[in-house]
Amino acid sequence: MANWGMVIDLDKCVGCQACSLACKAENNVPHGTPYEHDRHHDMYWHKVIAAHEGEYPAVNTQIIPMPCMHCSSPPCVNVCPSKATFKRGDGIVVQNFRRCLGCRYCIVACPYGARNFNFKDQQDEEYQRPDLPPDLAAEVGGLKYGAEIGPWPYPHRTRGVVEKCTYCFHRIDEALLRIENGADIKIGVDVVPACVEACPTEARFFGDLDDPESTVSRLLASRTYIKLREDMLTNPKTIYLPR
Amino acid sequence: MQLDFAAIKGDSRNYKILVGVLAAVVIAGLAAYGVAYMYGFRLWGVNNYVTWGQLITVDFFFIGLSAGSLVVSSLVYVFGQERYKPIGRIAVLMGLLLMISAMLTVLTDLGRPEKFWRLFMYFYLSNMKSMFGINGIFYAGYILLLGTYLVAALSGSKLTKFIAPVAVLWAMLVHMGTGAIVGFIETRHVMYSPLKPIEFISAAFASGLALVMLLSYLTLKFSKRPLDKDMFVSLGKFLVVLILVLMVLVAVDKLTHFYPPKREAVMFLISGPWAWIFWLQVVLGYFIPLAILCNPWLRKKVNWVIAACAICVVGIFFERAAIIFPGLSQPLEYYPGEIAGIWGARGGFLIMPAETLQTLGIVAVLGLVFVLGLKYMDLLPAPAAAEHAEGEASEQATPAAEGGQA
Repeated sequence: MANWGMVIDLDKCVGCQACSLACKAENNVPHGTPYEHDRHHDMYWHKVIAAHEGEYPAVNTQIIPMPCMHCSSPPCVNVCPSKATFKRGDGIVVQNFRRCLGCRYCIVACPYGARNFNFKDQQDEEYQRPDLPPDLAAEVGGLKYGAEIGPWPYPHRTRGVVEKCTYCFHRIDEALLRIENGADIKIGVDVVPACVEACPTEARFFGDLDDPESTVSRLLASRTYIKLREDMLTNPKTIYLPR
Repeated sequence: MQLDFAAIKGDSRNYKILVGVLAAVVIAGLAAYGVAYMYGFRLWGVNNYVTWGQLITVDFFFIGLSAGSLVVSSLVYVFGQERYKPIGRIAVLMGLLLMISAMLTVLTDLGRPEKFWRLFMYFYLSNMKSMFGINGIFYAGYILLLGTYLVAALSGSKLTKFIAPVAVLWAMLVHMGTGAIVGFIETRHVMYSPLKPIEFISAAFASGLALVMLLSYLTLKFSKRPLDKDMFVSLGKFLVVLILVLMVLVAVDKLTHFYPPKREAVMFLISGPWAWIFWLQVVLGYFIPLAILCNPWLRKKVNWVIAACAICVVGIFFERAAIIFPGLSQPLEYYPGEIAGIWGARGGFLIMPAETLQTLGIVAVLGLVFVLGLKYMDLLPAPAAAEHAEGEASEQATPAAEGGQA
């Protein structure tokens, strides 16, 4: 089974926020008002932070796009009392909105601020992906669904639950089904998460970390890389190539 | 020592006013919750940074008070200290009521409260690695145990001798589990501490004893029941020990996290924007009560002892707040350096009417059931023999009692 990961080249990132916008559009994350922004009520599945070090004129600004880190040892999965957040077989940490109680313990536990409580409903009610749920019995691309079907149909959710980035797993799953049916596409090349697709400088790469031939594996082998907050030992699968 | 218990008559004007006021606050709280449920928690002060607010603070506070009340009752029913018997039944009732109120706060704090039952699907739908999941066992068992305990204590059954020790040990579990909810979260450096469960239980004992002393004193006084002042004075000495233990624990915890160079969390707590919460905890929770209770003159005066109890209860409330608010609002260090914009900003918290009304409503539920309990259960020691003047004896039952709980 694949082990999906994302590599972000900070040398190429210009901080344009196209990734954040693409994420909002793709996943129908409600937009916020300035008031909600001030009160930290608005939602970002993907954010871009800017970290400064030093004083002008010797200031170093590091622009870091932050989706969910999809940790290999996710603290949020440990603390969730209702198994609403769980790690799929392919390593993606997803949130099942139907199981989520809204206790917000995972927000407390997440070291990356990747999780958001939705204080209001989605606004475009008609925007709901019409995708058919996958066959429960099927084993597609090594990913057995079974009980792990998760929040299908995606991404409709009610207010009062916690949301987060999913690496656009609906795209991946759809592609796996198409590959199963004989389509000649490759995940990580033809099918990528929305933020990767939208990046104008092609700073982001998506692929299978376990596959030595994938772009992400090659990049990680050729350059030094960092993971955020490594002291937490969460072992993120969103990996950065520093400037 | 044979001691009779009797209910108050509860037909005085003040009693009715008290019940009416409490009921009104309960209804206001219910209405506030209904509105918040319809419009979402954006009406509350909680946000994506300080994601737990007043209700969880009150929840931790109440669970602590509940465990503490149980310990007071254990003085009577486990250790056989007969002189504390007059307040034994009140302590058990308080333990149960506080725990139920605490569960009410958790339930209404959930984003989707209709799914609360998932917390109690042990090992099947619940995640038993979560401290919430584990506490689900503790909480449910605790409420069952306390219900049995109260029935046994009210009927004067011999069963209390067996239930009381179990209930007290279970109360420790409950409260250590609650401490672990915040203590095991490494992400939040203000909360993260192996001492948290122990600190919680210690704070629980101190605040619980203080609250039972305060409430039982006020209730006995306003219902004109026999009042043994020496009992409160001797309980005051016990309270000194509990507060001292708590103070040492907190000091050791903070010093441990202050000693290494990575001391931002402690600095944030003691000198950051929320520092006033921490210092209120220290001054109200420890210093002022200790100053009163260690003073050789004041500690013998029951009014001062009760005042110390009231101040201590308020101080321990700030102890809970000093975990939630500074703990959650400290900015997360995603990357070394100063993070610009809202992502590096400290979390804030607004006092919003819907959340505050609801919090008050839950406190009022507690007060209302307690006041009604005084009328319908034999909780208080019977009036001194010879007169059956209960009619006027029960006048003005506890107008201040609910002030003490707030």
